[in-house]
Amino acid sequence: MFFGLLLVERPAALGTYCHQNGVKTPMTNQISLNLDINGKSRQVTVEARVTLLDALREHLELTGTKKGCDHGQCGACTVHVDGERVLSCLTLAAQVEGSTINTIEGLSAPGDALHPVQAAFLEHDAFQCGYCTPGQIMSAVACIREGHAGSDDEIREYMSGNLCRCGAYPHIVDAVREAAKELS
Amino acid sequence: MTIVETRAKRGDAADGALGGRLSRIDGPAKITGLADYALEHHPQGMVHAVLVESAIASGRVVSIDANAAERAPGVLLVMTPDNALPIKSATDWLNTPPSDAPYEPLARSITFAGQHIAAVIAETFEQATAAAALVKVYYEEAPAIAGLDDPKAGDGMPLDRMTIEWGDAHGALANAPIRIKHEYRTPREYNVPIEPHGLIAEWKGDRLTVWEPSQWIDGMARTYAEWFDIPFENVELRSPYIGGGFGSKALALEHGAIAINAARMLGRPVKLAVTRAQTFTAYGGRPATRQTIELGATRDGKLVSIVQTGANETSMKAVQVEPLGSVTSIMYATPNFSSRQNVVPVNTVKPGALRAPGENPSAFGIECAIDELAYEVGIDPVQIRLLNYAEEDPHARKPWSTRRLREAYAAGAEAFGWSARQPKPRSMREGNQLIGYGVAAGTYPVRRTPGEALVRILGDGSVEVASSGIDMGQGTYTILAQTAAEAIGVPVEKVRVKLGDSSLPRAPVAGGSQFANLITGAVHKAALAARDELIGLAINDPNSPFRDLQANTLIVENGVISSPRDTGAGVGIAEIMQRTGRERIEALRDTLPENLRNEKDHFRNFTTITTMLSPTDGDYSLHSWCVHFVEVRVDADFGTVRVARMVSALDSGRLYNPKLAESQWKGGIIMGIGQALLEEGIVDARNGRVMNNNLGDYLVPTNADIPDLKVISVGIPDTHASVLGGKAVGELGIVGVAPAIANAVYHATGVRVRDLPITMDKLT
Amino acid sequence: MRDFSYVRAATIDEALSAAAMPATMLLAGGTTLIDLAKCGVAEPERVVDISHLKGLDGVRIDGKAATIGALARMSRVAEDPAIKGEFPAISEALWQAASAQIRNMATIGGNLLQRTRCAYFRDPATFPNCNKRNPGSGCAALTGVNRSHAVLGGSSACIATYPGDLAVALTAFDALVHLGDRQVPVDDFFLLPGARPDKEHAMRPGEIITAISVPASPAARRSTFLKVRDRQSYEFAAASAAVGIELGGDGRTITDIRIALGGIATKPWRARAVEDALRGTAFEHDAIKEASRLAVEGAIDHGANHYKIELAPRVVERAILKIGAAA
Repeated sequence: MFFGLLLVERPAALGTYCHQNGVKTPMTNQISLNLDINGKSRQVTVEARVTLLDALREHLELTGTKKGCDHGQCGACTVHVDGERVLSCLTLAAQVEGSTINTIEGLSAPGDALHPVQAAFLEHDAFQCGYCTPGQIMSAVACIREGHAGSDDEIREYMSGNLCRCGAYPHIVDAVREAAKELS
Repeated sequence: MTIVETRAKRGDAADGALGGRLSRIDGPAKITGLADYALEHHPQGMVHAVLVESAIASGRVVSIDANAAERAPGVLLVMTPDNALPIKSATDWLNTPPSDAPYEPLARSITFAGQHIAAVIAETFEQATAAAALVKVYYEEAPAIAGLDDPKAGDGMPLDRMTIEWGDAHGALANAPIRIKHEYRTPREYNVPIEPHGLIAEWKGDRLTVWEPSQWIDGMARTYAEWFDIPFENVELRSPYIGGGFGSKALALEHGAIAINAARMLGRPVKLAVTRAQTFTAYGGRPATRQTIELGATRDGKLVSIVQTGANETSMKAVQVEPLGSVTSIMYATPNFSSRQNVVPVNTVKPGALRAPGENPSAFGIECAIDELAYEVGIDPVQIRLLNYAEEDPHARKPWSTRRLREAYAAGAEAFGWSARQPKPRSMREGNQLIGYGVAAGTYPVRRTPGEALVRILGDGSVEVASSGIDMGQGTYTILAQTAAEAIGVPVEKVRVKLGDSSLPRAPVAGGSQFANLITGAVHKAALAARDELIGLAINDPNSPFRDLQANTLIVENGVISSPRDTGAGVGIAEIMQRTGRERIEALRDTLPENLRNEKDHFRNFTTITTMLSPTDGDYSLHSWCVHFVEVRVDADFGTVRVARMVSALDSGRLYNPKLAESQWKGGIIMGIGQALLEEGIVDARNGRVMNNNLGDYLVPTNADIPDLKVISVGIPDTHASVLGGKAVGELGIVGVAPAIANAVYHATGVRVRDLPITMDKLT
Repeated sequence: MRDFSYVRAATIDEALSAAAMPATMLLAGGTTLIDLAKCGVAEPERVVDISHLKGLDGVRIDGKAATIGALARMSRVAEDPAIKGEFPAISEALWQAASAQIRNMATIGGNLLQRTRCAYFRDPATFPNCNKRNPGSGCAALTGVNRSHAVLGGSSACIATYPGDLAVALTAFDALVHLGDRQVPVDDFFLLPGARPDKEHAMRPGEIITAISVPASPAARRSTFLKVRDRQSYEFAAASAAVGIELGGDGRTITDIRIALGGIATKPWRARAVEDALRGTAFEHDAIKEASRLAVEGAIDHGANHYKIELAPRVVERAILKIGAAA
């Protein structure tokens, strides 16, 4: 989203340089962030243009969040920011400093019982290859919390932002329906 | 017949045995985000590669100006054909010997838009991406052939080896009282796994480690070894989880060579993630096809002749065949038959395999045509199919091993409520919605390659299964645990399965729906061998309580060895191992025939497809079968088509795990719904560019597009098809879906759409 | 994506001065800017994040109008009980757009400013010629792949479709776009491409959208948004219609009617000819069908998008019938 688009043609203003392998190399804009992820405070220094998705996967060793399209068209990168499901591929890491971020890794602690949505996905075989699955589960948890799991058709519509090429959709609907019942 | 209900059973002990509805054992890793897919590794010092692709479809690269890119922040290398280290050519999957010419994954001569021409490697992904945009390429452009419809494409080249003929097809057609003739078309379609392709390559001396999603670890490892001229054993390819493949992740591709070469040139691990847009041109999906089908029949609908001519597009450099006669030649009994096929070179990436290559478009043609004949002669579409039922394979002239297609029609029609169908098109309506019922059948062959597996019984009584074979969601992990648990006699929780690593025993390609059958066969054999050795220990060891009993008097059940004659509680496996001082029992077994049991053929078996048996090698013709019943709702004003409900009855023989097999069937059906209504690669005729190279414009179904699906298993164990009685599963489900929907749309609207997808603009 | 610096605006004044700076772009939900930056279409050197500004995300409604803060998220507005009650077409347009995740991110102001989905516009690396990106460079879509392109409001320079849904509903109900102190009717806010398709709206340098207001009316209260597309969900409209209607005391005379179309034009398209033909007449199917055809008066197709000329009037007709019957 951009307001008041004003693009002026001019050469890049890259004034800073660093030495890399003995060669003088221009540097990119870096930013140091303190992110609240899965209840933990995490420090990371990244380029300003790094998305939350790439920060998680490349810099914070949280690879449960998946990259499927990198353009907001598949939902594999779904995480929760301040309790709401969003796409981490279209979110800058810098944008969510000060917010609460939850990823699939934080849904149930290792060794603890599965979250009811995770358990329902396993029981109903709501995935095959598993790659879209963390996004589906994060989306499903939010879908139920939003109150959009009232009927099968409502679940279908409100889970349509998460593509699954293996074709687990009917089982995802079964899993969300059952988990919603359990969580109500 | 088993009616498979969608609801899973819970907590049933029998779930652990083969045939039980055990939940995926790899499931917990996938639902917690801990499953480590290929691109999620971070070897020390890893850098990032981004591909630069051709903006023209035909011509040559005159020069590449990499100055700006090389000066950009973080850039380590701009790789072009001029500075790349040479790579050797490799043996292909058909065992064709390599040429002496070097292999050049970065092109100078351009034959399609999107071809890789350079790669930028930088410290970060963002830096590499930004610098790739700075690479300037100067081309000399030549006229391009954009696709099958391009007037310059012509009729293409006939492929005589695809010709199938018997009787006098043309003569019989000319004399038939009823003749129909139509052309059917399918567009370019894409695999679209949600995990895009890519890899991480790391060299340590002349040893190469590659993390990459792969449907064929050993085949790809061999290619890498040959490209980079190192021994096969020096390549470790790791692929424990694959985020979907659908045929597209079986072979080593250009981007793999580029990343590995970059890692070699820089001495640092390189990660190359193909972008979503590049997944439309870094490899090919299903080629566009067209086919003309002529049916000759008696007035009561009995076929006397089928004449088919077809063509599929291919690339300028290679011939990829999408066999259009594969279903046409076996689905119905006809005394006269002719099928011929051309390939038409166009400026595209080489097409590849997408779920049921051949069978899928073949069924679209014949299953629409037989439906058109049903309306022509005024017979129910199910009835006309039964009237022309093939009692044996009409092409191979061999009996079917099993063909539960009649049972499928009966079970599907009953569950669907087919009898409520009004025969006339456009006769069923609810408000603005035109309702249509459609039916179509499908089939997929049973292919067979010998397999290999390692089974270990460990000192603690647990069991390990190991294979370089893979699980991309078909359920390999789970069914192998079930196979070993049942064969040895341990609870399934005691079995660990290791897959997807080239250091493990070899495996053929997980493609052609062959893998579950061959790998369960190998694991079964190895597990029985391990069990035999365990029992041998129990009998022969002086410390054993079963000393001197006959081997065949002992049973192993639930991890306990006992003698039925003995009223005692038996002895646990761990205890036997401990008493006999054994740390492990290990059985590596293969199912290779004697004549292939030498090192060279063993290697060939697992790294090429030359030992794969066809469905008609042997006394029987081996195929899976299915029937789809569909109700569509077509908006009378808008022409939008929605699938309201579907019932499919499928014969895949014995199901090793019905819960997972149903998922695969449904996955195929859903992909078929996408094919029927949404999917089409759209190319700009001027420059051959795939214009909808993203998931917002190349539309695959969303959850909202899919109704509840009912699947019914009508199969019975078929031990001609495989050791344990299974037939093809993964690719079966999609075959016949698109024609069933097209037939339903005709029934709803009276409009026959013969070119996929069936979009609103074709119905208004 | 080009390298850029990131700063957060702490106040509206900071946002306003940032908006006046060269090579600077304002970031709200990010669903357009980050996407287009990855496509190489947007190349900011400085990104100013305004998504944390306070006081711009409210939804206020009284008897006269609804006022929606520019930073209110789509999902929040779609679910607002007062919006659902007084402006059902707005709520329906919002929840049928994009996906639940995107609706949680995208703001109302940003939603209006979303850019076209024209594949040529989105691919500068392959198609340098695009009048919207680079005025005077030409238009690849005119003779290219254009099934989704506009049949109304196009020019010889551009036929890119305005992709949004919300703006269609706002156009039907005469919403005002608040640019700080200045207010512009939404129909005037969006510009036709003409010879300068790069100029998409009537914003002046240094202005930002601060709010949207929509006058309440009986027609807005009795309204609907109908969206037709190939895929059932998560897709832009092939054709859409926002329709509101007011029937007289007799229950059958159309005293007021508002119609706007989406998915078929270069900007949200008010169908005044259809409104004029039906205002004051009896609510009657044949007349509605006849009048709906006026929605595409002057339409020009480019081959593959011809179907939109047939489709759009039917969408209008269906929406009118649906909302009229819902009494």
